[in-house]
Amino acid sequence: MATHAEAAEHHHGPPVANQSSRVDSRVLGMFLFIASEVMLFGAFFTAYFFVRVVAGSPWPEPPFHLPVFVAGVNTAILVTSSFTIHWALQSIKRDNRAGLQAGLVLTLALGIVFLLTQVREYSRVGFNPGDGAFGTIFYGLTGLHGAHVFVGLTLLTFASIRAFRGHFSAAHHHGVEIPGIYWHFVDVMWIVVYVTIYIL
Amino acid sequence: MAVRTEPIYPIPWYRGRFASWLVTTDHKRIGILYVATSLLFFVLGGALALLIRIELFTPETADVVGRVTFNQLFTMHGLTMIFLVVVPIFAGFGNFLIPLMIGAADMAFPRLNAFSYWAFLFGGVILYGSWFSAGGPADTGWYLYPPYSAQTTTSVDLTILSLHLLAIGSFAGAVNFVATVHTLRTAGMTWMRMPLFVWAIYTYSLLLIATLPVVGAALTMLLLDRQAGTHFFLPDEGGNAVLYQHMFWFFGHPEVYVMILPAFGIVSEVLPVFARKPIFGYAAIAFSTIGIAFVSMLVWAHHMFTVGMPNFLNGFFMIASVLVAVPTGVKIINWLATLWRGNLNFATPMLFALGVISVFTIGGISGVFVAAFPFDWQVHDSYFIVAHMHYVLFGGSIFGIFAALYYWWPKMFGRMLGEGLGKLNFWLFFVGMNLTFGPQHMLGLLGMPRRVAGYRDEDWLVTWNVVSSIGSLMIGLGVLVFFLNVLRSRKSRRVGNDPWLGDTLEWYTTSPPPEHNFDRLPYISSPRPLRDLRRRLAEQRA
Repeated sequence: MATHAEAAEHHHGPPVANQSSRVDSRVLGMFLFIASEVMLFGAFFTAYFFVRVVAGSPWPEPPFHLPVFVAGVNTAILVTSSFTIHWALQSIKRDNRAGLQAGLVLTLALGIVFLLTQVREYSRVGFNPGDGAFGTIFYGLTGLHGAHVFVGLTLLTFASIRAFRGHFSAAHHHGVEIPGIYWHFVDVMWIVVYVTIYIL
Repeated sequence: MAVRTEPIYPIPWYRGRFASWLVTTDHKRIGILYVATSLLFFVLGGALALLIRIELFTPETADVVGRVTFNQLFTMHGLTMIFLVVVPIFAGFGNFLIPLMIGAADMAFPRLNAFSYWAFLFGGVILYGSWFSAGGPADTGWYLYPPYSAQTTTSVDLTILSLHLLAIGSFAGAVNFVATVHTLRTAGMTWMRMPLFVWAIYTYSLLLIATLPVVGAALTMLLLDRQAGTHFFLPDEGGNAVLYQHMFWFFGHPEVYVMILPAFGIVSEVLPVFARKPIFGYAAIAFSTIGIAFVSMLVWAHHMFTVGMPNFLNGFFMIASVLVAVPTGVKIINWLATLWRGNLNFATPMLFALGVISVFTIGGISGVFVAAFPFDWQVHDSYFIVAHMHYVLFGGSIFGIFAALYYWWPKMFGRMLGEGLGKLNFWLFFVGMNLTFGPQHMLGLLGMPRRVAGYRDEDWLVTWNVVSSIGSLMIGLGVLVFFLNVLRSRKSRRVGNDPWLGDTLEWYTTSPPPEHNFDRLPYISSPRPLRDLRRRLAEQRA
């Protein structure tokens, strides 16, 4: 009680904010955002469900083929990038800046390769978004995911710039952790997209 | 000796009298901006509604406004009232009150909070800007059903842009509310000691987070169908127009609860203060809020009973919809129990809160009617539906909003709104809304479809429409009385911290509160911290 009174005497201004949750508000905000992203993808999967199950259309629509193998390799690339971002985060938690920088750059490189492969696939796949409901849904889901990869890459670019400018430490690394959570989400969502669009 | 007139420190431009409102991240100022902007849009949306009622004063089709204009009027009226009035004004009250009620200095993300407001404002500006586009505003109805919305030449694109902005702002605000409630409650403020309005805004936010992305997806698909040649909803190449309806109402029905749960929260705050009793069944009211939110995500297709779903689906959505009445009834019974043997003080906030209970219940009961799909087949898209939804939205949400305005006005501005004009405002609203929307039940049962600019020149159709139009003018008069009251309140006396003898934490600080909200805070040991303080003071004096 005495220490409390003493502290109150030396403390000026409004009372110190009480932290009523163990979860950091920024991390919580990102998880809420991801929850909404799941719903967004869910809406596009509903469109997919309507075409494949409710309407019962063939998939892929007869003259067209989907490059299952190339997309599989691409999947492996994106999944690898989840490990590299995890490596980057674990490195900075141990104050290993070189590991942080290497992990972020590798993640960025893998993400860019994934996007470029996707663009190449679009140019060679032989149909466009206007080619019936099949084309619409294919480009809708993969395009939505590609846009998310792009957003993730943008966030990681900022994290990388900060990493090279000497930001982040073992105690302060939310700027890596939070884009990292988003990046893991993008990877997991790709696995779902790949399985439903290419394999099933 | 010369008196120094200029301040010792030069005041930077961003602390200026007007500029400070443009750059503010203070939750109270953002809250006030939200409320003020929403009230402005309320006047605009109300003017559109009055034009609709003036057109329907006589049976002739399009004698006041043209047919397309009429369609644009009801579309813009719906969009305005839902997206620019009710949802953002609750965000405004939430912004102002949540940090005060839980004893925080601000929201969890103050800058994101400012972004939410500006996204809302520009979304609204764009929506109203569509009056000046080549095609004029959308004429599709607020739900923008394809295939018509994919083909019309009115500016559906601008409407989609505006809704995207509004949804992003609303969503950012919702994340902010949830993060604030989780992380910034003051010492001792456990979940079961939070004010019920905080529970309501928390649930409102969860619903928005879960459903806004879905309507965002639907609107994006609609935009692509209009502009990029895709076939999500156009049936000619394998698309499905009913898919849009499913996605839209998956958002649209929880949106109804987004618009009513905060009003319930307001009633739960106002009743105990003006009945001088603790709220009856705190836990039941808190959990029924969550219960309504959960069930509300499983009832969307009751808006689509006429699209030809199989009957087992119709039956499922009918039962789920009727189920909503259970947690809602729990609330109403607990409110009545709060009033029971209370020491009732019929001040204006109390009148509006009692208005919610009485009028909303009528809308809730007609809601159970239309939830039964055989009945819905008879009244679908008729004036019965218009009557039902205005009983819940005007009688529930708008009455709740006005209860909140009268109740928290002294906290926001340090001055009371006048009681005399307040009571006049209430009775004009109460009588006006029953005159406007009560007869619309009869119109619907007589077979008058909604969204038409004329009707057959028959006895009862004409009578009820005339009554309805006269009622709407009374509501308009009530709005004028409210603004007169606001103007006069600028000269009313200043009030202390707690003019209503409220029990929640926002009344602990000054009116209006300082920028940092609280100098010090008591440890919270019950849902009624101020009553605990008063009791402790009385014990010390004794």
